Amino acid sequence: MIVNFMGQEFKVNIVLGCLGAFLIAIVSSMFGFGGGPFMVPLMTVGLRLPMFVVVGSSLLAIFFNTLMGSMRHYQFGNFDLLLFLVMFPAAILGGYIAPQIAKRVSPLWVKRIAVVGLTILALNLLGVY
Amino acid sequence: MHKPAKMMGLACLVAAFGLIGAVAGLWAEENPNAGTSPGPQPPAASAALTLKVDQVHLDNGGQITVSGQAPAGKPVMLEMWAAARVRASFFDSKPGKDGVIPYKLYLTYEMPAFYRIVLPKDRQAALDEVKAQGKQWSFGEALKKLGAEAAFTQPAQAAIETYQASFLASVIGSRGDLLPKLDDKESRRRAMQLVKTRFRSPGKVFATGVESAPDGSFKAVIQLPEGSAPGDYFVAAVVDQTTRSQPVKLDNAITFPIVYMSNAGTSINLFWPFLLSLAIGTFGVLMGAGGGFILNPLLVSIWPLPHTIVAGTVMPTVLFSQGSGIYNYSKIKFINWKLGVTMGLAMLVGGFIGPKLTELITLDQFKFVFGWILLVLAALMLWQTTPGYLAKNKKEQEVLKQCKLMAEQAAKARKGEAPKC
Repeated sequence: MIVNFMGQEFKVNIVLGCLGAFLIAIVSSMFGFGGGPFMVPLMTVGLRLPMFVVVGSSLLAIFFNTLMGSMRHYQFGNFDLLLFLVMFPAAILGGYIAPQIAKRVSPLWVKRIAVVGLTILALNLLGVY
Repeated sequence: MHKPAKMMGLACLVAAFGLIGAVAGLWAEENPNAGTSPGPQPPAASAALTLKVDQVHLDNGGQITVSGQAPAGKPVMLEMWAAARVRASFFDSKPGKDGVIPYKLYLTYEMPAFYRIVLPKDRQAALDEVKAQGKQWSFGEALKKLGAEAAFTQPAQAAIETYQASFLASVIGSRGDLLPKLDDKESRRRAMQLVKTRFRSPGKVFATGVESAPDGSFKAVIQLPEGSAPGDYFVAAVVDQTTRSQPVKLDNAITFPIVYMSNAGTSINLFWPFLLSLAIGTFGVLMGAGGGFILNPLLVSIWPLPHTIVAGTVMPTVLFSQGSGIYNYSKIKFINWKLGVTMGLAMLVGGFIGPKLTELITLDQFKFVFGWILLVLAALMLWQTTPGYLAKNKKEQEVLKQCKLMAEQAAKARKGEAPKC
């Protein structure tokens, strides 16, 4: 597929893209997270697209998954309204606070802390300690 | 040039939403007994066994002292349950005696939100043995070992739906064919497995503490933990299959900010999940990954929330931020609709299948797979801190910034003109 974006043309292996997106969507909707951190590498590394094409379009693609996943979870009774009403404002508030903090912290350090934190949490989930 | 393309994108989007609507209608399922339905009636009471409690009103849990009179020389057990009911499901994917994997999903909407069997004090050692089995314990075997089979009546009466899952059914996102009602014996056996999936550990269902005097009078202290469901509770004394006391009714009240999550079957002080979501959500935005990655495993680890509820409730919290992000990008035409919608349709199909699979796995499997997902994510993040990536990324970010700026200017200057980069 040929993608035209801001006056530039990109050739994209859409079969690979759709297959990857499909698999990411299954896992992320099964476990209840957005697929962003996996979709961006898929589109930049797998499809060789530059970042400026990816940011908006990957968000649009993920939105389809979140919308469908949410509806399906609701159908299967996997939705608790009260818990949602508690977390939803917190998520929106977090979205406003984060950019304020972002100016003051180095993104590199945030990533490093994330690596350590994610590894600790992962090992805990895997029952290593 | 760009206008028809955009129109096509919009048309695709509209079609996709239409598809979701149609599919949603097609697969809408009834949830008849979620929440608090009156439970099935216990077996007939025997006059030889009496029971009374020292207080009938509890405030977010507490201690009650139960006393009564039983026929002399017989050990007494107590069965306690909440009127509030929750959903529990169990997927049987272990090969049976004939080596065939059944792939059956057992589902009930009538599991008591709280359930406990209080055993005579002298069975503590046997209970410790059950606890020592760790995650491999079986509720059915524990009942036998602890001599508590007669006390197990309430969850045994829950109506259980059985579905024959198949690969094809999973692909189209269905639970599979609804099988005929189980017979009483099988239903009781499956109810035991459902008790385990709901309450997880032996300490959540069993306790010891009934002290019997030689004349048959007995006494026990029962602890109703904080975070239990509000509403009515029942306690009944049990000696054997035929000797059972009239149940005594109690109630448990909870006050704001502690609220009861009826689908999750747990009472929680609202403040803590709010604070956790706020902290994780903020950090999630900073690190460039949604908070769901961290929030989901933490929620199931900290509170006794079922993983199905957590996955299904965390997911929609990001809908709003994603939607507003798309709106902002679309205002400056920073989205390629053809690419986004094509990949989005693939994700739509994946998102249709995934949520169905959540109930087929146990909490331990959920944690295990999540552990590996987080390790992959950590590796991705680590890669993003390597010098090679940083150098490349710096250039990319500059291009991104510039392109975005040009797109913004183009959007301001002349509507309808395609920005170039």
